Amino acid sequence: MSLAIHYDSTFDGFLSAVFEIYRQHLDVSGFVAERSYETECEAATDLFAQPFHIETSEESARRLRRAIVNAASKDVLGLLETCFRSEDTNIEMNILAYLRKLFAGLDPNYGRNPSSLEMIPLITIARSVRREMDNMLGMVRFNKAPDGMYIAEIEPKYDILEMIIGHFRGRYPNGTWAIIDVKRGFGVYYENYRSHFVTVPDSSYLSAHAPPDEFTRMWKSYYDTMAIKERINPRLLRRCLPVRYWKHLPERSLPDSSLARIGAVPSQQLPSTVAKSIAFASLRLNVQR
Amino acid sequence: MDIRDKLNILGDAAKYDVSCSSSGSKRNSPKGGMGCGHSSGICHTWSADGRCISLLKVLFSNACKYDCAYCVNRRSNDIPRATFTPKELINLTLEFYRRNYIEGLFLSSAVIGTPDYTMELLIKVAKELRLIHHFGGYIHLKAIPGASSKLLFEAGLYADRSSVNIEIPSDRQLQYLAPEKNFASIYRPMNFLAERKLEYKADKSKYSPKFLPAGQSTQMIVGASGETDFQILTLSAGFYKQQQMKRVYFSGYVPINADKRLPVITTKPPLLREHRLYQADWLMRFYKFEYNEILDEKNPFLDPELDPKVMWALRHPECFPVDLQTADYEMILRVPGIGVRSAQLIVSGRRFSKIRLQHLKKMGVVLKRAKYFIYDCEVPRELHKLYPEMLRPLLIAGKSMNDQLDLFDTMPTALPAPAPQPKVAPLSVNS
Repeated sequence: MSLAIHYDSTFDGFLSAVFEIYRQHLDVSGFVAERSYETECEAATDLFAQPFHIETSEESARRLRRAIVNAASKDVLGLLETCFRSEDTNIEMNILAYLRKLFAGLDPNYGRNPSSLEMIPLITIARSVRREMDNMLGMVRFNKAPDGMYIAEIEPKYDILEMIIGHFRGRYPNGTWAIIDVKRGFGVYYENYRSHFVTVPDSSYLSAHAPPDEFTRMWKSYYDTMAIKERINPRLLRRCLPVRYWKHLPERSLPDSSLARIGAVPSQQLPSTVAKSIAFASLRLNVQR
Repeated sequence: MDIRDKLNILGDAAKYDVSCSSSGSKRNSPKGGMGCGHSSGICHTWSADGRCISLLKVLFSNACKYDCAYCVNRRSNDIPRATFTPKELINLTLEFYRRNYIEGLFLSSAVIGTPDYTMELLIKVAKELRLIHHFGGYIHLKAIPGASSKLLFEAGLYADRSSVNIEIPSDRQLQYLAPEKNFASIYRPMNFLAERKLEYKADKSKYSPKFLPAGQSTQMIVGASGETDFQILTLSAGFYKQQQMKRVYFSGYVPINADKRLPVITTKPPLLREHRLYQADWLMRFYKFEYNEILDEKNPFLDPELDPKVMWALRHPECFPVDLQTADYEMILRVPGIGVRSAQLIVSGRRFSKIRLQHLKKMGVVLKRAKYFIYDCEVPRELHKLYPEMLRPLLIAGKSMNDQLDLFDTMPTALPAPAPQPKVAPLSVNS
């Protein structure tokens, strides 16, 4: 009977799983990543496969990384890691298929061939992950909290938060800011030139802490004036700026600027001192590493 | 007038400027400040007309002393006028930047007083942003035609990119539509900045300050005066070569002013023509085409039905079919349906294995177009025996078949429908 491999959804976990598959000669039909934000029924389960859990081992992950670098190159390892961030349902099997061919050793040049039938789909997946990462550099929207902290919520399709941190560290080196991946329930919190990963199971108190302010509304009305009405093109807009991002973009999600003008002050604002202590305390408590 | 009204008026006045790119400049965040330049540029959002917004694009003032026929801010128009103070504008830029709404500032202005006075105001904003607020983001400054060289040079020290818009692609038409301007007054600042940049490049060291790291750009209006596409492409090829422009933008003419010298105010903006011109521009910049290969004196207009790359392929049947295993990279780039990335993948992959149709499909090559132009054992031989005249309707039909078919529309067929039995023609449900 073939096995459905359960692992802890990290790349190291996946590499350890592959390591064990080779070591124990397992017959694999699929992978199940145990993600905190997915419930049991959401994760695709195969009725005819026997679940088999593999613990993450840093040692075996490290050995497999070295093996991939030796057989192919550092770039290929980076590409596989980028692909893995797509969290695609089939991505583990695709990578495994590539690794099997790579380690079979039938073609000594296989690791350098970018147009093999296993590699091309991985290249296209990595491309779309990088595209979302590049888009997200522009689509993170910070709101200013009364205490001077900037808070942004994002909801990317792929797990790209770690890839964009470096950019924002370089951009706001002196600030205090947090970017929270609402979908995956974790975020990064930057203060005093250091960033920390934090778990944020529920970010609603943070967004209430930093509501849209006057500059947000000015941005929205500026955005509305920039469109030339003779050229309006909703299809092009949706192609460039997919609807799934609109929720966290004030220029698309706030009500029309003419309406916003009337109700200038938002009502559900927490008293700033209380909110500040809640927000900071909870962020600090959740620091992981 | 509060700052919000000013922003709306001056943003509205600047929106007809096409350029909004933030690419070409790599800066690290200055010590004690914030902001960096990202060399490939970052789009922050797209407006409802599908144009990217990456910079805070505003005019410093829209109280212009000139009276150019095509411009929304001309002296004789009755519109609300506003002028920022430098402090307001700087504060707005920094606040927007902190919230990651924008990549930087695009600052232009109507001419108030003299060109020199206007230019000084623009420089003051850029200088304060860079020196007092240690701002490392992107700054695009317009060079005001007629400003002195000393000021232009100073602008280049603080800005990442500078631009002078030529607007109308021929000198005579320009002088007719904009009596205060001529080609010489527009070329002078362009050439000056291009020469200074070359000098800077020549003796560049690690410590020398940056001078216009992202170069220059310009823009011309399409469809306001009677130029041909060939004239437009010739002019832009000249800009790329002589003035070392990074980009030449095209802006389909949107009728704003009723003026007897311009097309009537009800004309629709020529969006398709603009799109084709951009495609031709892409061919020059990324596909190694020369401007006179895309168009010539005999065919001065781009084809609205087919893109310029396909048109070139149809005019040169002697170059096809291309064998992907052996052809040069430049030749593979010229195959319709193959883009830069696929071409690179083909060239690096063919050293290890033959490139077959299944590879091409996975790479994202548009086989619908490419199949007529490549040699492959799986492509039927008959496809290569087609004459350009026979190929053309096939390529056009292949394009429109993608759309949802209309129930009451007649089917677009490549061949003429059989005449004697009109009643059994497909989709004639209503008859």
